[in-house]
Amino acid sequence: MSFEDLIGTEGLSAEEEAKLRRVHQLLVAAGPPPELSSDLSLPPVPNDEADPPEVAYLFRRRRGRAVVLALAAALAAFAGGYAFGHSKGKPSAFTSVRSVAMHGTSGGASHGVINIAEKDSVGNWPMLVEVSGLPEQAQQSSYYELWLTHNGKAVAPCGSFRVHGKTTRVRLSVPYALKSFDGWVVTSQGPGRDGLGPVVLTT
Amino acid sequence: MSTTDGELIQRAADGDRSAFELLYQRYARPVFGLALRRLGDRGRAEDAVQETFASIWRSAGTYRPDRGPGAPWLYAVARNAIVDRARNRTEIPADIPDEPAREPGPAELAEQGWVSWRVHRALEELNEREREVISLAYWSGLSQSEVAEFLDIPLGTVKTRTRAALARLAEILGDEVE
Repeated sequence: MSFEDLIGTEGLSAEEEAKLRRVHQLLVAAGPPPELSSDLSLPPVPNDEADPPEVAYLFRRRRGRAVVLALAAALAAFAGGYAFGHSKGKPSAFTSVRSVAMHGTSGGASHGVINIAEKDSVGNWPMLVEVSGLPEQAQQSSYYELWLTHNGKAVAPCGSFRVHGKTTRVRLSVPYALKSFDGWVVTSQGPGRDGLGPVVLTT
Repeated sequence: MSTTDGELIQRAADGDRSAFELLYQRYARPVFGLALRRLGDRGRAEDAVQETFASIWRSAGTYRPDRGPGAPWLYAVARNAIVDRARNRTEIPADIPDEPAREPGPAELAEQGWVSWRVHRALEELNEREREVISLAYWSGLSQSEVAEFLDIPLGTVKTRTRAALARLAEILGDEVE
């Protein structure tokens, strides 16, 4: 919508109009602010023990200094993850190196993302799995299961979880050589269902 | 007059949790917007927000008010955390399907986010009524008449409110609109 359509220019001095036009342009350029998820409704629990990194002052950077600061930021990110991981009741930070999108098989609104962190020293791939729109389990013994697939078939179980509400996030870990597989699926598992349940999400 | 960002950073440096929470209130959305724009993934952007604020808490003591106001300093902290997270996408399992890569370079994109950062931060300063009318006028896709109908107020009032909200934003954004 144009500036004229939105507020008109009647009664504005040239200076006022110029200012408002500039704000209008900035709003259009910036786009809408994103909605915060419930996970971001509260600030993280600060940890006092980590050494403070030095922070760059915007517009006053030097090249060599930027390298040092990037290293400091990397250290800070690591320390932040450690701190959150050891704080009570708060989700810890998760540094993923790869994200894999999943979509529902029934054409509904369900979807998911698998965030994969770097392999740890003993060969596990930590994963942060976020699924949305999956129906809550009908029975206490029902659950969902994440699998790696090979030639389209679910062959390697990666962990089970239950969902609650619109979005559920769970941390899982697998020891497999991920490049040996070609995708992921989530199946719905429950009582009286031997073997693999129906696929509800797939990559 | 509300407490400046710089004052809040200094109070956070002294261990004032309420100042830190106020900074979070003011900047969670701008940081998230910046991270989302750069990383393109809500989960990773959320992690970047957490990392950014952990970093703000730890490094608040390094902020020097004589070297500039709080907003650019906070932006630098956020940008570092986000760029760092973007760089962490290298060692990957080769054959796992993925979303298309997003270009160009992280630093450039983060810099481009400065405008959004300032505008989204400024929106946090508006009162609920002003924010609502801006949001409806700019991003809802509704015409002004439809906005008037939605809010159940006359069209003229919508225009007056929008104008007042823009004027308030101009005041908050200061140098940005000079």
